[in-house]
Amino acid sequence: MASTGLSSSNSSSSSYDLSFKILLIGDSGVGKSSLLVTFISNSVEDLSPTIGVDFKIKLLTVGGKKLKLTIWDTAGQERFRTLTSSYYRGAQGIVLVYDVTRRETFTDLSDIWAKEVELYSTNQDCVKMLVGNKVDKESERVVSKEEGMTLAEELGSLFLECSARTRENVEQCFEELALKIMEVPSLLEEGSAVGKRNILKQKQVHHTSGGGCCS
Amino acid sequence: MKALRRSQTSSSSNSNSPSSSSSSSSSSWIYLRSVLFVVASSSPASCSSSDRGRLKSPWSRRKRKHALSPQQWRSMFTPDGKLRDRGAKFLKKVRSGGVDPRIRVEVWPFLLGVYDLSSTQEERNIIRTEKRKEYEKLRKQCRRVLKHNDEIFKLSEAGGTSSFLLVGCNSPNSEDAVSARESLSSEERSPSINYSEHLTASMLDGNADSKRFTDASVIYDSDSSDSDSSEDPEVSQTFPSTESREENDPRMSPKDESSPSKTEVQSRNIEDFASWQRIIRLDAVRANGEWISYSPTQAAVPDERARRSAETVGLKDYDHLEPSRIFHAARLVAILEAYAFYDPEIGYCQGMSDLLSPIVAVMTEDHEAFWCFVGFMRKARHNFRLDEVGIRRQLNIVSKIIKFKDSHLYRHLEKLQAEDCFFVYRMVVVLFRRELTFEQTLCLWEVMWADQAAIRAGIWKSAWSRIRLRAPPTEDLLLYAIAASVLQRRKQIIEKYSSMDEILRECNSMAGHLDVWKLLNDAHDLVVTLHDKIETPF
Repeated sequence: MASTGLSSSNSSSSSYDLSFKILLIGDSGVGKSSLLVTFISNSVEDLSPTIGVDFKIKLLTVGGKKLKLTIWDTAGQERFRTLTSSYYRGAQGIVLVYDVTRRETFTDLSDIWAKEVELYSTNQDCVKMLVGNKVDKESERVVSKEEGMTLAEELGSLFLECSARTRENVEQCFEELALKIMEVPSLLEEGSAVGKRNILKQKQVHHTSGGGCCS
Repeated sequence: MKALRRSQTSSSSNSNSPSSSSSSSSSSWIYLRSVLFVVASSSPASCSSSDRGRLKSPWSRRKRKHALSPQQWRSMFTPDGKLRDRGAKFLKKVRSGGVDPRIRVEVWPFLLGVYDLSSTQEERNIIRTEKRKEYEKLRKQCRRVLKHNDEIFKLSEAGGTSSFLLVGCNSPNSEDAVSARESLSSEERSPSINYSEHLTASMLDGNADSKRFTDASVIYDSDSSDSDSSEDPEVSQTFPSTESREENDPRMSPKDESSPSKTEVQSRNIEDFASWQRIIRLDAVRANGEWISYSPTQAAVPDERARRSAETVGLKDYDHLEPSRIFHAARLVAILEAYAFYDPEIGYCQGMSDLLSPIVAVMTEDHEAFWCFVGFMRKARHNFRLDEVGIRRQLNIVSKIIKFKDSHLYRHLEKLQAEDCFFVYRMVVVLFRRELTFEQTLCLWEVMWADQAAIRAGIWKSAWSRIRLRAPPTEDLLLYAIAASVLQRRKQIIEKYSSMDEILRECNSMAGHLDVWKLLNDAHDLVVTLHDKIETPF
């Protein structure tokens, strides 16, 4: 699942040095999909709740390396959790999102989501990032930045506050995560292994599809 | 998900397909769009009759009929307001062309089983009144719980909380919970200890087991027969005539739920009513606004009224929305919450707002929209079960359809470990709502509802003899349509995609690229060829 998740024979023209899998988790309505959509495109709009899982691919250059990020967006509701849990597998980065205007989304991160990560993440060195979203609603804020930083320390994760609506810190969020992933040798190796395998695979696919329709 | 995928794989691979080789010879059948005859001619080996091609799909371009018009609709009734021939003609018409938007508000309650197809106008008037009262009662109970939750929330903000929640957790026994509540807020106690009291106690219970839902059902049942009468003199009985009408349908009367509830709730279950109420409000304000251009009256709702209704249901974070969307969101909240009460095994699950939104856009009265939704959910509720059984069964059927129809594609999926068809998950859960436009979705649903209504009423057995033989109405038309949408992309999937993720992405981005009638037409072909292999006989 993890390795196949990162191949993209579809876009053969786009080449990259490293490929990472990133997962977005957190309660319903904290803005996981909005963060992703804001990061991928420029649109800022209300999004319908995510059903099951979805993913988007972003190519960017960080630290002089061409990266391909496959970012998985998951449904937040409890009921989808059995389903989404299999998507932790093989992720090099996990973004834990809460809404700074709703305290329960913050407490759920330590009570529920951090435990899910421990339980399902197959990658010991996996980089975590805590993200407090919706800072554009400053007047409604109930979770302070300090609280966020404290939790991030407890979880051993990176920390940023951002706003999908104003785009504030959205790119930084993914870039910092990617940078951190690249600092971890084992993850770096995974990312480049997938990249190489992917190039081989593209060739194969190209061959078979050129040779005829049967495989 | 992993569990889902694994078990899926093993169960779908044990059915041997005698025809699995037949369709490989017709790899491009989907592109030869002389439509009807393609199926018959290109898969000669599969099943039997060679005259299958004679049965034209009601949705083929040549044969496609217009939607049921207002004039046709009116002419279908006898003077005492009964549908002629128990609605056979009516359903056949809807099945082949959908319903004119102007009469949807009248037609849907029939399609969705709110009204019996053989009911008279007088009978419907009675049912309508009863159902309205029943809905209002559910709403009243919702408001009570909401108020109660708010107070708990305030208490928790003040720091004096966990005592109550702990009591709730430790004692599914409602008496304890009730007494705990007395000590917390005596003024909140309502005069009649009833459904909402018990439900509150059990639903706030963070570690609830299967018992809580059975309790809730039982309580609901007893409540329906007496309790609230002191407050609501006009409501003496909640489920009076419904029973006879819906006896073969356990979903319509919650009292029959006690046994399935045990099996359904066995999987871990930490969701509670309070969290449903929260998520319902979150989802309501971000509901798709596509309906607006189709419902001019609701779109023109005055700002004041919209805000009033939003306040009534305790909507939050709606200031950035247009009045029409605020109003719509408030109605969604009211109805979804009532539904969570009505069907506590399912409660609320994301995706249900996708299914309700079009109903709310069409039905102007909340109580009518609610009962139509109940009718819709009779089948769709299985999509939202905690144990995933409903979803698994449906993905399995899609997988089987593809396997029988196109073994080449199926082998490719197997190679990618994608034969469980998880990539169509979202289409199954919200019945194509995310992939089709508003109007297209409604057409598809109407056709699907007509099929299901025909099966419920047993009409097709006698009246649709020709149809019965070849392409009987099916409970699972949606799944054939989903399989058709995948098959339409077979070439791309086989030649270009080398992982399940890529197929998932393809499926999740079908929006705007589908033609509902072509989809139905292809689905029809699949029903014709495969229904006897896929479905157990009725």
